[in-house]
Amino acid sequence: MTREEFTIEGALGTPLFLPWVERHAARLGVGMRLRDSAPERLAVEFEGAPALLDAMEMGCLLGPIDAWVESIVRKRISAT
Amino acid sequence: MSEGGAMRDQWYPVGMTKQLTAQGRDTMLMGEPIRVALAGGAPSVTDGTGRALPVIDRFGHVWTSLGQPEKDLFTIPEVDQPGRRLVDVGVCRVRCSPLRAVENFLDIAHFPFVHTDILGSEPHTEVARYEVEIRDDVDEVWATKVKFFQPQAAKSAEGGITTDYMYRVCAPTCSVLYKTCPPKPGEWDVIALFVQPLTETLCDVWPYMALYDDDAEMTDLIHFQQMIFVQDRSVLENQLPALLPLDPGREIPTRADMTSIAYRRWLKRHGFTYGAQLVAA
Amino acid sequence: MGMMGAACSDPCASAPTPDTGDTVPTDWTPAALSDDIPVASAAPGQLGPHDLAIWRSASGRIAAWADRCPHRGMRLSHGFVRGERLSCIYHGWGYGEGGQCVRIPAHPELTPPEAIRVPVFSVAEASGVIWVAEEAPDGPPPEFPGVVAFRSLQVSAAPEALAAALGGTGTVIETVLGGAQVVALIQPLRGGAAGLHLLAPEGSDPAALDALSAEVEALRRRVEAAEEMTA
Repeated sequence: MTREEFTIEGALGTPLFLPWVERHAARLGVGMRLRDSAPERLAVEFEGAPALLDAMEMGCLLGPIDAWVESIVRKRISAT
Repeated sequence: MSEGGAMRDQWYPVGMTKQLTAQGRDTMLMGEPIRVALAGGAPSVTDGTGRALPVIDRFGHVWTSLGQPEKDLFTIPEVDQPGRRLVDVGVCRVRCSPLRAVENFLDIAHFPFVHTDILGSEPHTEVARYEVEIRDDVDEVWATKVKFFQPQAAKSAEGGITTDYMYRVCAPTCSVLYKTCPPKPGEWDVIALFVQPLTETLCDVWPYMALYDDDAEMTDLIHFQQMIFVQDRSVLENQLPALLPLDPGREIPTRADMTSIAYRRWLKRHGFTYGAQLVAA
Repeated sequence: MGMMGAACSDPCASAPTPDTGDTVPTDWTPAALSDDIPVASAAPGQLGPHDLAIWRSASGRIAAWADRCPHRGMRLSHGFVRGERLSCIYHGWGYGEGGQCVRIPAHPELTPPEAIRVPVFSVAEASGVIWVAEEAPDGPPPEFPGVVAFRSLQVSAAPEALAAALGGTGTVIETVLGGAQVVALIQPLRGGAAGLHLLAPEGSDPAALDALSAEVEALRRRVEAAEEMTA
């Protein structure tokens, strides 16, 4: 299991974005904890197998249609 | 706004230049009837009202647009290199979104299962990490450092090799792939996919190749590529939903789908949504 | 032939009422014949609005799943069966017991999480018929002693029209067709169509089955022609 913090930046002002991320994490069986939330920036901690964290990044890069994700920066917190 | 949005102002292939006749051929572009013909020795395209549409004759194909393209059609510099054989493969009609046809072309993970023992084979299924970027200067999606094991990489390949690929999306329904060229190390074979959007769920696919292959018969080269596309068609006509989702909320893209995701992001950014589905379903 | 004994005295009680194919029946619905899904194969099916992938494992276990790979939406009914798994033909994602994803070939090192699974439908086999339901019904699907599954046909006509042509109502009809005492199971399909799953007397000789086939095909033509007239 790996824990990483994702800093997601872009036009995330839609109220749909965070629930979308939560739902996608659940579909992947990835643990999620919200660290910080702003209209243009979201900091989220995810926990799961490395390939699933990659998949989480893939999903979030597209997200719901009314959000635009400009970039996702990943920082490893821990790995076991 | 008329049907097609931003995609209306893009260039699309509508036929092979060498097949043009004075009488012309009726076909469709984004739901509208058009006629492609030879007029005074040059290709001409007219819409359902007889209005002349802009025309470009390039890569052995006729290109047109229902709108007003701001940019020239993309180029493929390799095509002009001496010694390459240019192959118009012909047309393959597929009952799928034109965008899905392009997305499938960008995908390597399906090789062992859809093109079994030709472009891929088990147990060599792993997709190694590769790089994807949107090049702002040319406004194209590029995937580089793509590697995959192929039992028969091309007509000229004997035995299995690890093949290098680069992928390029240069228009909403066009992609060019560069792959290891077995007879000429250091060079790339070029295979392009030009997709004509007939409707949002029906397209004509015009593959085009520029190869260093002196030995193979032209018909063999064409048959090889046609076989590959027929195999792809069985997948493309059975994906749900029919339109390409720009919200992956009902899918599970992984790192192996990175090029697909970059392509969809690029479509989303430009409002290229003809053949796309905006909400997950 | 005397096969309509007490054992199937009330098959209608456990069969759904015909509908337009848009609503999901709550009881068992016949979806295919057991012989039409041999070992290690998959085929498409329907249950109300749902597309199904009906497949049989190497050991003979039958399953009915949503016909859509969670990865990129490819129909799983086009997939391939190895052992006790159904794999998607597109990227080879493999699914086992309960629809659980067990293999993602592009990422062989990954043990897929429990969260990745294909929605599963209830399925049971009785009298050579594969029955499906969204939620497990209270009892097993009906048995029909004395008859065996013979063949399935798709009819471009409403289930009610098909039932009427067979001289009955509902979805389980016992009648005489081509001189044989048969059981006809009617499955509502989308687009105003119906599936007809026919059970013929046990031990029928080939000539009798040929006659039955000819009779049911004629019946299908009549029903479809009548449906076209009214449309």
